[in-house]
Amino acid sequence: MVSSNRRAVIEFVLDHLVWFILIAVLTVFSLTIPNYFQIGIFANIVEQSTFVGTLAIGLSLLIIAGYMDLSIESVMALAAMVVGILFAKSGVGLGFGFTPAWLVVPISLAIALSVGAAVGASNAFFVVRLKMNSFIVTLAAYIWGRGLVVALSGGRSAQELPGELRFLAVERFLQIPLMAWIAILATLVFAFILNRTPFGRHLLMIGGNPTAAYRAGIKVDRLTATTFVLAGAIAGLAGWLLAIRTSGATANLGVGMLFQTFAAVVIGGVSLKGGVGSLPGVYAGVLLLASIQTAINLMGMPAHFTQLIQGGMVLVAVLLDTMKLSIRKRLA
Amino acid sequence: MTTEAPLLRLENISRSFGAIQALRDISFDIGRGEVVALLGDNGAGKSTLVKMISGGLEPSSGRIIYDGAERHFTSPADGKAAGIETVYQDLSLCTNVDVVANFFMGREIVKKYLGIPVLQEKAMEAVVAKALADAGTKIPSLRTNVEHLSGGQRQAIELNRFVHWGGKLVLLDEPFAALGVEQTRRGLDLIRRIADQGIGVIFITHIMSQAFQVADRMVVIRQGKVAGDVRREDTTADEIVQLITGEALGGRARNADRENGQAQPAA
Repeated sequence: MVSSNRRAVIEFVLDHLVWFILIAVLTVFSLTIPNYFQIGIFANIVEQSTFVGTLAIGLSLLIIAGYMDLSIESVMALAAMVVGILFAKSGVGLGFGFTPAWLVVPISLAIALSVGAAVGASNAFFVVRLKMNSFIVTLAAYIWGRGLVVALSGGRSAQELPGELRFLAVERFLQIPLMAWIAILATLVFAFILNRTPFGRHLLMIGGNPTAAYRAGIKVDRLTATTFVLAGAIAGLAGWLLAIRTSGATANLGVGMLFQTFAAVVIGGVSLKGGVGSLPGVYAGVLLLASIQTAINLMGMPAHFTQLIQGGMVLVAVLLDTMKLSIRKRLA
Repeated sequence: MTTEAPLLRLENISRSFGAIQALRDISFDIGRGEVVALLGDNGAGKSTLVKMISGGLEPSSGRIIYDGAERHFTSPADGKAAGIETVYQDLSLCTNVDVVANFFMGREIVKKYLGIPVLQEKAMEAVVAKALADAGTKIPSLRTNVEHLSGGQRQAIELNRFVHWGGKLVLLDEPFAALGVEQTRRGLDLIRRIADQGIGVIFITHIMSQAFQVADRMVVIRQGKVAGDVRREDTTADEIVQLITGEALGGRARNADRENGQAQPAA
């Protein structure tokens, strides 16, 4: 038997493991890599984390509820491309404008969110109504979503979004661009929803034991469908931010981000078994990946090392997840 | 015995599955605050009977009179809404969240800020602490996840939750099958305390000593029929065994049958 004090300490460490790892990694990099310890570098890590950080919110919510969403990367690209085609001035862009010009910000955001929500709703229909496996349904959406991006753009790119949108990528607050703050704010908002509202509480319960949740009168199907739509809309938000950052969209925009997001979510402590995870932890996972990528860049190593290391990290993260489970079991 | 109407009365309940008749002409009552042990060999029809009472199965014939009116439950949700529930050891808890969250599952206390419902953790914790204290249940910390609690503690949470949310009749199917000696003793105490709050308890068991420790009455089912319906103080373990196995059927059992018959002049 473990004393309750010691158990509380161990639980705390296990719950916040990713933060400890992040601090350790940043310390080691700062001490060993020349020029790593700079405000500019840290600001850059936060900036890099914008898109994966945003995508990770929706994916985390769904995995916590016991489902999977592989479509987020393509949904992000689709939303970015739709925004690019409508509002960019050259390439395949149609260059729609408004008076006053700033109206493009809310309108393009609403369009990006709607595109994402629509794909999310289609996923929800297949998973919740037709009881299909979410892995397969969202894998299909991952494929057709990217196909749609290529089809819409004809493989070409859209360039030059209006300055009103670019503003969010250019202007900085505390050295960090506004769009990175948007990602942080979204993380905080959804962290609050997950921890402090009945919706979030019920999501955790569905991930833990859907039968019990159903028996207790929780509307499991409606909640699950809502979460798929939310995850889609959040991916749409990521696409909007990415379009702003790249001032347009290309057909292969964001390829590979799904696996980075997946890695970050698992590293951030979300259990693939469902029912366990916190969004600040996931954001720490995103920061951890970006820190490592930055270290690799600074050391002048070829970029493909990043992939090797990230692949290894996913394995380590899943291993940690399993180990944490067995430690907790021994504590109980 | 009691002059008021029983909490639940089964009248000539039968149920068949195709050609197989699982239950024949089952009739018995259960009063408020009464603990009835449902005994019987494997396959005697106990589980079928429990399902019918909780709404998971509809009888082929016969009447279920509950809380003063005839009821036709078509799903466990109907039964639950009326205050009847089967409490399982694990099925109805989310082990990945804490005791308070489980207690309030789907009925959380919230306060709206700008239209957004926000969980009121302190208020909920206070309610759970009071409910558990009233029932004499001790859980080390209400903020531990249920996965860290023992089987007995989990059961106590389920039962207390049931009572707190207005349950009137609880069905326990082999509630102590997975529990140790000490936990079982506490579980039996808990059943007694719950009954003392005016709740009807039906519990299925194989273990004679448990039935004798806590039950007010014992109903024995054999081959789909009520083989005996006896008060605890009027019977012995030997007699119950005889009723269960059907060997050397004693005079008491026949008496019980006759009393049952008299209870429903309509039959």
